[in-house]
Amino acid sequence: MDCAVIQIELAPYHLGVCDDETRARIDAHLLECTDCLRAYLAIKRHIERGDRARPSDAAKAKLRAAVASEFRPTIAARAARALRRPVPLYQSFAAAAVIVLVVSALAPILARPNAPAPVTASGERVDTARPTPENLSFY
Amino acid sequence: MRAFDLLYARYESRLFGFLLGMLKNRADAEDVFHEAFLRTLKNDAEFDREGAFRTWLYRIARNAALNHQRSGRRGARAVAQLPESDPVPRADDELGQRELLHALEGAVERLPDALSEVFHLRSSGLSYEEIADVLEIPLGTLKSRMNQMVVTLREDLKPWTAR
Repeated sequence: MDCAVIQIELAPYHLGVCDDETRARIDAHLLECTDCLRAYLAIKRHIERGDRARPSDAAKAKLRAAVASEFRPTIAARAARALRRPVPLYQSFAAAAVIVLVVSALAPILARPNAPAPVTASGERVDTARPTPENLSFY
Repeated sequence: MRAFDLLYARYESRLFGFLLGMLKNRADAEDVFHEAFLRTLKNDAEFDREGAFRTWLYRIARNAALNHQRSGRRGARAVAQLPESDPVPRADDELGQRELLHALEGAVERLPDALSEVFHLRSSGLSYEEIADVLEIPLGTLKSRMNQMVVTLREDLKPWTAR
C-alpha cells in the first residue's frame, strides 16, 4: 500500500475505528515502513496531546472553592450527623461504668437511715405512723 | 473535598481535552468544565446508579458545551496550532509529519459537529457503548456516524496524498 494512502488512515487506525481489512493492512505496513511508523507515532502523540490538556490552576482553585461553598454542611446537618454517628462499644461500656459508679456513690446518700422518732416532753417515743390526740402537736 | 480531589484528578485531563476539542477555545472550555463538574455534583440525586459515572459526566459536559455554543458565548477563537516550522526544515520526514499533522488538524476542524464530537469522544478514550450513552443514540447510529467520520477524514486528506 502506498505510504500516503496509509498515512491518511493513521488517525482512524489509532482511534480503533478502521474496518478490519484496513487495520490488518496498516498493521502489516507499519512492521515494514519506518517512515509510516514515525508518522503513526506523531499522530498518536498529537491526538493524545489533547488528553494531556488541563484547566489552569486558577480555574481549578475556582471550582474547588465553588464546590466547598456549595456543599458546606449547615450547623443542623453537622449536628444531625454527629447524633447519627454510631457509638463504639468501648464508649458504651465506659458510659455504663460511669453510671454505675455515680449511682454507687450516691446510694448511701439516697438511702438515708430512718430518722429517730420524735419524743414527747416526758421522753415517750411518738408513733408517728398513727396520729393521736397526745402527739398531734408534732403534726 | 478529598472525594472531589480524587474525582477531579481522574477526569480533568480527558474531559477538558474533549471540551477543548469541541469549543476550540481554552477560556470557553474552562468555563464549561467548571459548569459541568459543578452541575454533575449538584445533581447526583438524578444519577442513575446503574449507569457509569463517566458517561453521565461526559453527557452533562457535552450538553453544557452545546448550550454554550448555541448561546453564542464564544471567546476569541484560538485554534490550537502547531508551531510554525523552521525556515530550514531539519529533515524531509519531519516536514512531512508536520504537513500531515497540519492536514489532519484542518480535516478534524472541518468535520461537521455531529462527527466532530464523535471524534473527540473517541479521542478521550470512551468505548462505542459509552459514546452512544453520552450522545443518547443507538449503538448502530453511532457506528454509522463513526464510519462517516472516517470517510469524511479520508476524503478531506486525499489532496494531501497527491503532494
